[in-house]
Amino acid sequence: MAQRIPNHLVSNSLLPYLSSSPSTSLFRLTTAYTSSSLTDASRPASRSFSTTRPSQTKLRREMIRWLRGKGSELQHHTPGETNYITHTNKPFPGNPLYRSDPILSEDMRNEIHRQVTVQNKSVRAVSVQYSVDMRRVAAVVRLVELENQMKEQGKSLALPYARAIHEMVPVTHLREHDDRRKSHETINDLPVHRLTDPQIFYPVSESRQFNRIDAGRVFSAAPALRNQRAEWLEANPDETIRRITQESPANIEKVGKGDEEHQVLLPADARIPHPHMITHERNRLTIGKTEPAEVRQKYRERLEQETQVELQRKERAQQRLEMKTQKVQPENSRFEFRFTDVVVSRETTGLTGRGHKAPGRRYGVPSSDRKKGQVKIPTRVKV
Amino acid sequence: MRNRATTPLKTPKIRQSWSKYNLYNLSRLRDVYRPNATFFQQKWKAKAAARAYHGEQVSEKQWQRMFSPRLRSVVPMAPSNLARDDGSAMSAGRGSGLTKAPQPEEMEDFEVYEEDAGADKPREKFRGSRASYTGERTTPYVQMTFAPLERRLDTAIFRAMFASSARQARQFVVHGAVKVNGKPMRFPGYLLNPGDMFQVEPERVMYATGAPKDKVERRQTRVARKKAAEEAKKAEEAAEEAAEEAEEAAEATKAESAPLEAPRKTLRALMSKAKAIMNSSKDVLPAKRKQDLRGFQRAVRRVLSRSGNSSVLTANLEEQFSELTTLLKVKRAEKKPQKAEKTEVEAKAEGSATEKSESEAATTKAGENGPITTQLSEAFRQAIQNPEKEVDTSELSDEEFEVLRRALVQMRDNPVDSTKPYATPWRPRDYMSAFATIPRYLEVNHNICAAVYLRHPVARPGFGEVPTPFGEMVNNPAFVWYLRRR
Amino acid sequence: MVVRIRLSRFGNKHQPFYNIVVAQARSARDSKPLEVIGTFNPVPQRPTGLSDEEARAARAYKDISLDRSRAKYWLGVGAQPSDGVWRLLHLAGLIEAKKVPSN
Repeated sequence: MAQRIPNHLVSNSLLPYLSSSPSTSLFRLTTAYTSSSLTDASRPASRSFSTTRPSQTKLRREMIRWLRGKGSELQHHTPGETNYITHTNKPFPGNPLYRSDPILSEDMRNEIHRQVTVQNKSVRAVSVQYSVDMRRVAAVVRLVELENQMKEQGKSLALPYARAIHEMVPVTHLREHDDRRKSHETINDLPVHRLTDPQIFYPVSESRQFNRIDAGRVFSAAPALRNQRAEWLEANPDETIRRITQESPANIEKVGKGDEEHQVLLPADARIPHPHMITHERNRLTIGKTEPAEVRQKYRERLEQETQVELQRKERAQQRLEMKTQKVQPENSRFEFRFTDVVVSRETTGLTGRGHKAPGRRYGVPSSDRKKGQVKIPTRVKV
Repeated sequence: MRNRATTPLKTPKIRQSWSKYNLYNLSRLRDVYRPNATFFQQKWKAKAAARAYHGEQVSEKQWQRMFSPRLRSVVPMAPSNLARDDGSAMSAGRGSGLTKAPQPEEMEDFEVYEEDAGADKPREKFRGSRASYTGERTTPYVQMTFAPLERRLDTAIFRAMFASSARQARQFVVHGAVKVNGKPMRFPGYLLNPGDMFQVEPERVMYATGAPKDKVERRQTRVARKKAAEEAKKAEEAAEEAAEEAEEAAEATKAESAPLEAPRKTLRALMSKAKAIMNSSKDVLPAKRKQDLRGFQRAVRRVLSRSGNSSVLTANLEEQFSELTTLLKVKRAEKKPQKAEKTEVEAKAEGSATEKSESEAATTKAGENGPITTQLSEAFRQAIQNPEKEVDTSELSDEEFEVLRRALVQMRDNPVDSTKPYATPWRPRDYMSAFATIPRYLEVNHNICAAVYLRHPVARPGFGEVPTPFGEMVNNPAFVWYLRRR
Repeated sequence: MVVRIRLSRFGNKHQPFYNIVVAQARSARDSKPLEVIGTFNPVPQRPTGLSDEEARAARAYKDISLDRSRAKYWLGVGAQPSDGVWRLLHLAGLIEAKKVPSN
């Protein structure tokens, strides 16, 4: 049997490094040898020690033929191109509804991390700038931080692996200045709400426009707005959305009673991740042609304001939490004791004494946590 | 747990695996539609095929509990459309003969101003795909049937391409190589929450995704291991003897000799291997290869004879490498002014580029390297064998120089190391590229083998985010099966 | 009959969790009390959301929820805290530390 030549031994291990793509000369060589070894293996002399025939069924032969013929081009990839059976960006031949989406390139990741950590831009601003989802921006920052930390600690990274992956899947590169903007993903995805599932026949009066705010109220079975209020909302769309998104979520109107109580479905303008972009577009439509500088200025101010509001909201939540808890660190103990205030009253315990707002485990309720079908492994890991 | 995820050829099943059997089965997958089958039979076949791929390691009962008839979806919204119309245009005139919604106006370019964009800078524009905004395509809801399984930790690891099959991913978790949010997690059935970060040991990932060792390499590993054990024994004995004689002196000599010995040994091993190749496969080796090998043997002999008293091999590889790169840079900088066609600015730009690209050299495409010239290989040989000497790069062209530099960077990142469980230098395993895809709901950093589960997978107009090999012809009956109204 | 403020054990094996209850002294530990005024988790929790250095210096904490006004009321009408609850109420600043008889 011909011996397969180990790649790294020949020519003082020069070739594997000089050719980053495995489909170049190096592999042409090795494949030539493997095929020769295969023909050798099929000779009877090579299995002199065994009397049983190997299971070379018809199906197996067909598979090998396919792998040597059509399948051979799938064995190794060409850097920078996808290499799927379909020859498109769809890896599954039976499923045209799944496509291989691009991932962020390394320079793009580093740039996003730099913008957020060094330039102190808000996640929202970076998200709009590069057309990358806000959650993804946050994840990228977290992962790059971890990478830097691991580098500092001198841990081994999987660099050749990462390179190979970035050669195989589509990649969104950091664009140059003259390049046309290419979006990485859609950033204003509106989740389809459960309340919008039913089809509703709803007659409206012709005296007034029926807009998205009204539609949300219909879907959540809330009474129609009074004319005066509706007119005001219609006249000041920006202010309406700003109030909804920047003020406390507790201010959102609720309908229904008891367990049925739920918030009124908000219009799509308030439920997309970047509502401020709508206001920007509206400004562009009205005064964009004449005063582009002002539009830009306003956009910047709005972003700044959004960031401030988010910061304040976080701070307030933190304060509220601290107000509610009292931390005691006794000198003779290793532990800290955190006292949280709760309320025990007729309102919380309810008439039966089993209300869910009251503190403590319930009496008279069987515990089913060891029963079959109950989740017994951790459901969340806190950072 | 026994691995039942076989890939039979007779009754082909698609699995979450990168094996070539699976690829072949995938290539001959046809829709399981049979007009003569009853509805029940259609549903049964569909769910059997789908479950062989999705969560094959999850028991049917467990999956039935996870199944949810609510399928998540999103609609991408264009802010410009929302700004232009508050929704009243859609509803106006319904019931008075006007049943069609008015055509949306020609979509303009969507435009955002960056904070640092100057007034004189041309506006940067971006055109979203119109189809995704205007809703021409339907949302493939049933493609999300198996979305709850994508939350599982083992599946997510497979999707992030950290393992070559879902079974292997499961093994990684069970064997304790996986962390969630920085804490070890040993349950493959852990359901990831949006924002959870999971990381796998990079060595395991390299093993899972790298090409396996072949026969020769495995033998080399065994030999090397045996030798190392013997050496260790000898060293121990020597140390004991030395200790008897004079403790302090022995300490000093040992410290010096140990690092000196190791590289010499590897060099000798390399040479013997080269010889073995020459002897065993005389008839298969092309003439050019033989020449290369002979040159290599000569070079090794030279180094071996010299290294007895020189300090070349005592310095560790890392230092050698950094020296080498700085040397190359210096040589380059010296050479540049001589070249008339290159301006100062260009040279500077290139200098910074070389520094930056050290970490990501290979992500830039290396496709342009044509035939490797003899000068280049000679330079590489020089660079490797006597790093303390100046590498003669004068006869190399710019392109060749770049290739040489990149090769050196790669050699550092991807060294030949027989102790690794995969073939070194690392290369992706065969047929991996045919399965290489990373779904949108994950953000993966492959350098550190960590990923963040951003959100649950969703369907959007025209696309379902769950990577499934089946179309709606299979997923629809499967979904209906699990609705439990049969 | 004495009314006591005491702990009643919930949770699972190796996972204790207590309700702080007001109950008749002679009633069973886990029987229905007069009132539940709080909870006590004796398993120390690692603080989350901290940087690496902070996490190293931070103390593990034990979670207690308590309705202070109800606790004060019951103390005012003569309910006797058990030793464990006495310590907790002392940490919360509701009563003086219990004097340990020196023998």
